[in-house]
Amino acid sequence: MHNEDYIASGILELYAAGGLTEAEQQEVERVAASSPEVRAALDEACATMEAYAAQYAVQPNPALKTRILETIAAQNDAQNLHEEQSTAETEFTTPVVPMYAGAEEKETSAYKWMFAASIVLFLVSGLLSYNFYNKWQQAESRLALALASEQQMAQNYNTASLKMEQQEQLLTIMRNPNYKPVHLQGVEAHPDANVMVYWNPTQQQVYLDILQLPAPPAGKQYQLWALDNGKPIDAGMLTMEEGKATLQQMKAIQSAQAFAITLEPTGGSINPTLEQLFVMGEIKS
Amino acid sequence: MSNEHTHTITEEELVARLRARDAAAVSLLYDMYSSTLYGVVLQIVKVEAVAEDVLQEAFVKIWNSFQSYDESKGRLFTWMINICRNLAIDKIRSKHHRVSEATRDLPTGYRPEFASDAFKPEHIGVRELTEQLNPEQKQIIDLMYFEGLTQSEIADEFNIPLGTVKTRARSAIKLLGKLFKGRA
Repeated sequence: MHNEDYIASGILELYAAGGLTEAEQQEVERVAASSPEVRAALDEACATMEAYAAQYAVQPNPALKTRILETIAAQNDAQNLHEEQSTAETEFTTPVVPMYAGAEEKETSAYKWMFAASIVLFLVSGLLSYNFYNKWQQAESRLALALASEQQMAQNYNTASLKMEQQEQLLTIMRNPNYKPVHLQGVEAHPDANVMVYWNPTQQQVYLDILQLPAPPAGKQYQLWALDNGKPIDAGMLTMEEGKATLQQMKAIQSAQAFAITLEPTGGSINPTLEQLFVMGEIKS
Repeated sequence: MSNEHTHTITEEELVARLRARDAAAVSLLYDMYSSTLYGVVLQIVKVEAVAEDVLQEAFVKIWNSFQSYDESKGRLFTWMINICRNLAIDKIRSKHHRVSEATRDLPTGYRPEFASDAFKPEHIGVRELTEQLNPEQKQIIDLMYFEGLTQSEIADEFNIPLGTVKTRARSAIKLLGKLFKGRA
């Protein structure tokens, strides 16, 4: 940069008014030291600021002069003493304090505030999110409860309507005159056993209603037989559903004079095991 | 002014005596510059007791670090006023001071004017003259000189382009220079 441009830039005036950072100040001093023109312009600006400062001149308390001179004198005495002890050491060790240390401090203060504010914000947002998280969890568990009870209701409804359907079916069969009710009574070994069979000879349909049968042991299953002229015909396996008066449809039977139930290995047998006869009943014509 | 005659000593002489560690020269230095230095310090710290402490600290520092003054770089007064301003600005920005003064965020606000009791005939009417500075120019100068803000801090805080800060500082000082010369 040419000296004229440098002078015209206003940087010398900033220097004089104290508006430069330490680095910028040193740069101006360097340029001024190498150029008499710049130096003259800088001195002029500084002299102007000196005159400006002089407007604010206030004579300090006369006691201050004494105080300052005494402080310096006392310091010199101490220093001289020190120098006598070690002349090799440089006497002027006072470091030059950076010109704009104050500006730095102001900046850090701004950062401190920003830092404090950010901590506060962080804490507040933490509290809020904890609060919202709790509420969300509560809502979630309530929703789960509501869903579960709704499911329960639906299940209950299904069970109820299924039962109703079965009852209706039973009722239809019982009220149908084409169905012949056959009461299968327990043999001597099982006097409590009690089963109803409804048979429609024209449609060959057989329905079975377990009134009372002991639960079959593991690996065993009840089998219904139709006796036609003394010959046993497989009429299907019984599905035991505990505590439920269910009507089961069995295999179609053309003609029969009696029905019987035996306990057979799971899956059933071709011929009935007569020792395991539970109930038997003749068809009344 | 009892010490008016001591002003006849030249800056070069004074510098030479101080460099030679002539403690008596401090007294001369004090007589020549203390009122201006003190006035500026008082403008910055606004409290007389604090200003006195700052001035004492500044003179001790001037004496102790006089070898770092380089006349090839600038005027003696410029060097001394910088020491005073830095100490004063440090003072007002120190934690203790900041706590006790909550109104510091109003840099353009009311500035107490301390009556100048030093009789300086050459300055009569100058204050009126400087009122010819437009408020923007004066504000820039005072923010730097009395608040210790740098050009970029002023640009940031007052949202003024850096170039404008420079231009205003230059025109203000140019104008002041003319006003003072006109009086001389």
